[in-house]
Amino acid sequence: MLPETQKKICLLGSFAVGKTSLVRRYIESIYNDQYHTTVKVKVDKKVVKSGAKEVTLVLWDLYGEDDFQKMHWSYVRGSFGYLLVADGTRRATLDRALELEDRARVEIGPVPLIFVVNKCDLQQEWEIDEAMLEGVAARGWTVLRTSAKTGEGVNEAFQQLTEKILR
Amino acid sequence: MPDDPIYRLPLDPDEEISSGDINSFEQLRHLILAPEQQDLARLRERLEDPGLRTGDISAVLPEAIHLRRQEGGEDALGQALLPTVESALRESVRKDPGTLADALFPVMGPAIRRSILQTLRSFFDSFNEAMEHSLSLRGLQWRIEALRTGRSFSEIVLLHSLVFRVEQVFLIHKKTGLPLAHAVAPAVAMQDASLVSGMLSAIQDFVRDSFQSARGQILEKIDVGEMEVWVEDGPYAILASVIRGIPPPDYRLHMAEALEHVHRNFAEQMERFQGETGPFAGANEELSRCLEFQYKEQQSRRPKSYVLALAIVLVLLVAGWSSYRGWQDHRWGQFVETLRAQPGIVVTGFARQHGHYVIRGLRDPLSADPQSLLKQTGLDASQAEVRLGGYYALDDAIVQKRAAALLQTPPGVEMTVSDGVLHAEGQAPASWAGALRNRALLLPGIREVDLSQLTDTDQAEFERLQRLVQAAIIRFPLGSSVLTTEETAALQRLSTEIRSLLAQAELLHKTVTVEVVGHSDSTGYEATNWPLSEDRAERVVLEFTRDGVPRSLLRGQGVAASQPLRQEENEGARQYNRSVTFRVKDDATAGARAASRVSSNAPVSHAVAP
Repeated sequence: MLPETQKKICLLGSFAVGKTSLVRRYIESIYNDQYHTTVKVKVDKKVVKSGAKEVTLVLWDLYGEDDFQKMHWSYVRGSFGYLLVADGTRRATLDRALELEDRARVEIGPVPLIFVVNKCDLQQEWEIDEAMLEGVAARGWTVLRTSAKTGEGVNEAFQQLTEKILR
Repeated sequence: MPDDPIYRLPLDPDEEISSGDINSFEQLRHLILAPEQQDLARLRERLEDPGLRTGDISAVLPEAIHLRRQEGGEDALGQALLPTVESALRESVRKDPGTLADALFPVMGPAIRRSILQTLRSFFDSFNEAMEHSLSLRGLQWRIEALRTGRSFSEIVLLHSLVFRVEQVFLIHKKTGLPLAHAVAPAVAMQDASLVSGMLSAIQDFVRDSFQSARGQILEKIDVGEMEVWVEDGPYAILASVIRGIPPPDYRLHMAEALEHVHRNFAEQMERFQGETGPFAGANEELSRCLEFQYKEQQSRRPKSYVLALAIVLVLLVAGWSSYRGWQDHRWGQFVETLRAQPGIVVTGFARQHGHYVIRGLRDPLSADPQSLLKQTGLDASQAEVRLGGYYALDDAIVQKRAAALLQTPPGVEMTVSDGVLHAEGQAPASWAGALRNRALLLPGIREVDLSQLTDTDQAEFERLQRLVQAAIIRFPLGSSVLTTEETAALQRLSTEIRSLLAQAELLHKTVTVEVVGHSDSTGYEATNWPLSEDRAERVVLEFTRDGVPRSLLRGQGVAASQPLRQEENEGARQYNRSVTFRVKDDATAGARAASRVSSNAPVSHAVAP
């Protein structure tokens, strides 16, 4: 039996921002991480409840290429929304995230997104400060702090994205 | 409207009208015609305004075209519309070929396929024929397997090439990579359809991106060990079948048909797909039809029972026939061995030709008759042809037969030939034996004659007669040399025997003499006994001579009582000593006797020189 409601979502972000770690403990997967280095994407699944409705999120975890030319943008097509991930300890990953959003909008239009700043367990090492995040929020985006290590904010990120998509 | 009186009245030029009348008339006309004039103005406006006119035509155009078709004006309408439609299509293709291609997808597929199918079918027909007559190693192996297992050749080909099972079928939304429908064969370990669909889409994208293939070109087949994934592409969705084994090529046609069917029924839903799978429940049936399979152990493929029975009967018949043939071959082989063992028969060839046996060779006329040997075996003589040429055999057995036939072997003689030596055994006249030695050596195959075991019958007869004569005693009364009647008869028998003895001696080239010795008992005077004994000898010689025995071969002599036959202990013994006895002497003994007689002083018999 197929799930009644399925949504394709993407995880976008620079190399080593912790996208894969972010989802590893919260998802169902049948594929190993080697797919990242070969096919440059790994497809996983997460079931999220929204009220009485059960939504199956099919997560396309894209390999964080730093070279735009090497990105497989066709993987993004058809997404109902995405998590845009940055690494709090690396300022460059924020700029990179903004560039990725620009390009994603061209590919799939204005779909819902959640901006996730990962590694909040290493808050003292952060290069991204509050002001920068306010700047991001000013774009109308939901900004969430997460920690793949502690699990903080992870479920919330998926939950909020689901709500946005269903809205 | 020429007949309308309202329009005619003011247009009559011959009518004279006053000004007051004109006003009244204008008023009247206004009253009467104002509504119509307004309608007229509106109609004129609608006719002259293209926008309004288009609206009017658009309202009736479908009905008008429909009406036109019903009235049979279709050709004219088609011709009128043709240039427009053609240019519209051209424009559409120029702008975006995809739109028209997507619209035509459900109808183009079947048409193209039908044409290709026709071509392929004729190709496969010839291919099958080639397979039927193929002499490739695999073809031969399959044929042998077909013969061995009793299955048809085509079935074996099928077993080896067309065994497969479609385990899962995915209908995947192209844009999102999400599964729209999923069918699974019974007892198949099922993967998460969402994940598999996503990854399959990702791989498709990956290949397309990596090799920059044109839009619409997809990875049609993925080989994974004994599994294959076949993918069929449509405008909105792809159909992916996970197959174990190798499916027949026409399975792809089934996939294409299913995908077209889905597109016909769900195109709109797929275009508007937002992740809800509910609307595609109806597609599951179509997908299930794609779960085709062909098992190796298909019971129905087994030969029908009567075919099996027929096959068994045929096998038994063949086995029976070959056993019978084998048995016949064996029996004829045995017969040929029997022939080979016969002396005087040489078998040079034995074969079965056109259902009967041919035996070739050579045969000595004195050897065993093949036809009578054949009769003894109980074999059907008509089954064979025995071609034996004549020859002269040197086998001992044949040489022996030939010798027996040519040498007139007398009864009592047995002749054997061994290693070229003729052995004669038994009794035969010396004359025959002498002739045998010379004649036997003329026969081919005899190099030596051995007569050591052959006894001379002439000599034996001579010796028998000699013994008979020497054992005879002719008795006389006391003091007399007169023969009794009884003794005369005995003497006659004896003389016959002596004649036979002499004849036998002649045969043996011997010259014999018969000594006739007269005896007396010791009673009386010696002076009378000597003459008495001589008289008695002379008496017997006379009788013999009278019976035809040559006188020259008889030597009479008297020995009185000097050589008594018995010791005279009684009258009976004395009677024996009043007698005549005989001694047969051959030349040598006769000569010796003559010499001894001359030297002794004993009285000389009436010997007569020959």
